[in-house]
Amino acid sequence: MFAYLVKRLISGALVVTLVSIAIFLLFWFGPSSPAQTICDRETSNRCGDRIEIYEKTLGYNNPVHEEYLKWAKGVFVGRDIQIASTTYECDAPCLGVSYLTKQSVSEELASRLPATISVAVGGAFLYLLFGIPIGVAAARRRGTVADKALVSSFLFLSSIPYYLFALLTWLYLTVLWEAPFVSDTGYFPITENPAKWFGGMFLAWVALGIFGCTQYTRYTRGAMVEALSEDYIRTARAKGLREGTVVYKHGLRAALVPVVTIFGIDFGILLAGTIFTERIFDIDGIGFWSLQAVQQKDLPVVAATALFSAVLLIISNLIVDVIYSVLDPRVRLS
Amino acid sequence: MSQPTAPETLGSLTDETSVDPNSTSAKEIAGKSPMQIAAGRLLKDKIAMACAFVILFFVLIAVFAGVISKLFGVSTDTVLASQYLDVLNGGMPKPEYGPPNGGFTMDHPFGIAPRTADDNLAYWLYGARTSLMIAGGATLFASVVGIVVGLLAGFLGGVVDKVLSFFVDTFLTVPFILAALTIAPILNERFNSSDNYPMIQKVSLVAVLAMFGWMGMARLIRGEVLSLREREFVHAARVLGMPTRRILFKELMPNLAAPIIISISLMLPAFVAAEAGLAFLGIGVTDGASWGRTISFAVTYFEQYPLYLWEPLIGVVLLVLSLNLLGDAIRDALDPKTRR
Repeated sequence: MFAYLVKRLISGALVVTLVSIAIFLLFWFGPSSPAQTICDRETSNRCGDRIEIYEKTLGYNNPVHEEYLKWAKGVFVGRDIQIASTTYECDAPCLGVSYLTKQSVSEELASRLPATISVAVGGAFLYLLFGIPIGVAAARRRGTVADKALVSSFLFLSSIPYYLFALLTWLYLTVLWEAPFVSDTGYFPITENPAKWFGGMFLAWVALGIFGCTQYTRYTRGAMVEALSEDYIRTARAKGLREGTVVYKHGLRAALVPVVTIFGIDFGILLAGTIFTERIFDIDGIGFWSLQAVQQKDLPVVAATALFSAVLLIISNLIVDVIYSVLDPRVRLS
Repeated sequence: MSQPTAPETLGSLTDETSVDPNSTSAKEIAGKSPMQIAAGRLLKDKIAMACAFVILFFVLIAVFAGVISKLFGVSTDTVLASQYLDVLNGGMPKPEYGPPNGGFTMDHPFGIAPRTADDNLAYWLYGARTSLMIAGGATLFASVVGIVVGLLAGFLGGVVDKVLSFFVDTFLTVPFILAALTIAPILNERFNSSDNYPMIQKVSLVAVLAMFGWMGMARLIRGEVLSLREREFVHAARVLGMPTRRILFKELMPNLAAPIIISISLMLPAFVAAEAGLAFLGIGVTDGASWGRTISFAVTYFEQYPLYLWEPLIGVVLLVLSLNLLGDAIRDALDPKTRR
């Protein structure tokens, strides 16, 4: 187990390094000079020859591997970043300075994290809250009309692109009908006004939850149908256990293993920033931020958000594998 | 799969009426390949056939977009937009040119867009073309890469397998949207001074979609090849001295038809949705007709002019929905374990 963890951590670190190199190269060998945007912005579009000053101070004249090492060192110990005549201090973990706000990218990332975490936790909670009970209910009534109707309606729902579902939810409930409680979507800090925070997030959670739970219902139903046909379920019934105990204690426990795997990965994806959800419901989280950064060519921010989400996905994959081995004793990590 | 199987065992899989083995007519039962059995099942599936018709409808629209728009007398080129618009009313179309303030007109069956006065029908038709062209192109490239990587990794094994699997896993850890978000603008900017910018933008979109869409196919093929290469007919081919290339293409490929079809049926709807989604976010097609782009414009006008949003939205939903449902039916039909 320990050896396995070490192995996975090393390969995870390798992937993160590769991804960061890829992102770095992408901007380095990108089309226009990476310094062009910031130069245009600071000189109000009269950049001209001054581009050279920016290229020099940002290090775009040095060999690429030197600059990458400088960047990588900054992640661990911090560094000073000079843009034209101004020097910006960037503490560890330094992911650069935003070309737009001149703030440390990692600090801005941290300030937007609560919004993204709010979306992710609420959405993921509803995945399970809706998905598992509905899946269990469908499995217990397998083959009935209710089961068939549920399976086909959920198949229908999950075949629609998610962002259109979310967009219509928002357009009708918030914009058109101005439904109470969800009339103002967005992120409001929970510490200031919990009720407003809840109201702002509610619609995003529901949209995520309803759409995402279709997948969980499908997996729970499948695993539950299989588990309920096992011998130990028959034994449990034969020795006179109550039906509820049989289904939830003996059946569901075995059926939950595959559900946990998908859930871990989905939660990682949600934490990495749900671009569509945040864009549609006006939530100023990491996904929305990365989208804005792309549109405004704020390169350090784009690189940081891409790296951040890759790291989150790798970590969630690792955690899922470990949990899997704990839940299912037949799985042995090696 | 490729060994000849007795017709009797296959007969039980089909819905044909059983024939008395002693009667003379028994000889007429022809052996069916697994693909033929699947096709037979699919043809009986009413939902699948309805979906196939919808898809065919969109394909025809995409192919004949130019002809159809001429037929209706509409075009994507708008001359002197202001003559169609009610400038005092926030740039909404004048009532005589259709909704939301006027009724249906034959000149612009889908109405015209606010502010730009573009004809909605023409943009809708060409949007279908953009959507299917990009999704089809991306599926083609992603399939080729996926099949080659999967075949090589599964068949050669050893170091090759390790390296290729590492790449598959690495690509899987990069979230697709973020990758597209990062790469698409860079590719776009490189060529944005070029004359045929819209075309290059579409090509780069295909490249990005394919680059992050091939891993599922590669995984599926690799798994299948891993089990197939230990089968007797592959061993026999090797003992007979068949060159590796022929083993790959003559022995393995025919047995990979099912996983390939399944992956394609998953890819197509995902790419159609991704194309529209990226355009909606403003990072996909930004120059030319795309349903997603129209949707993102229409959000602002939704309260006054819902039809403007519904037209492209129905296009995307209908196409993605029928591709998904048809794909689901194909997967069921190909799976011999499906109960019916």
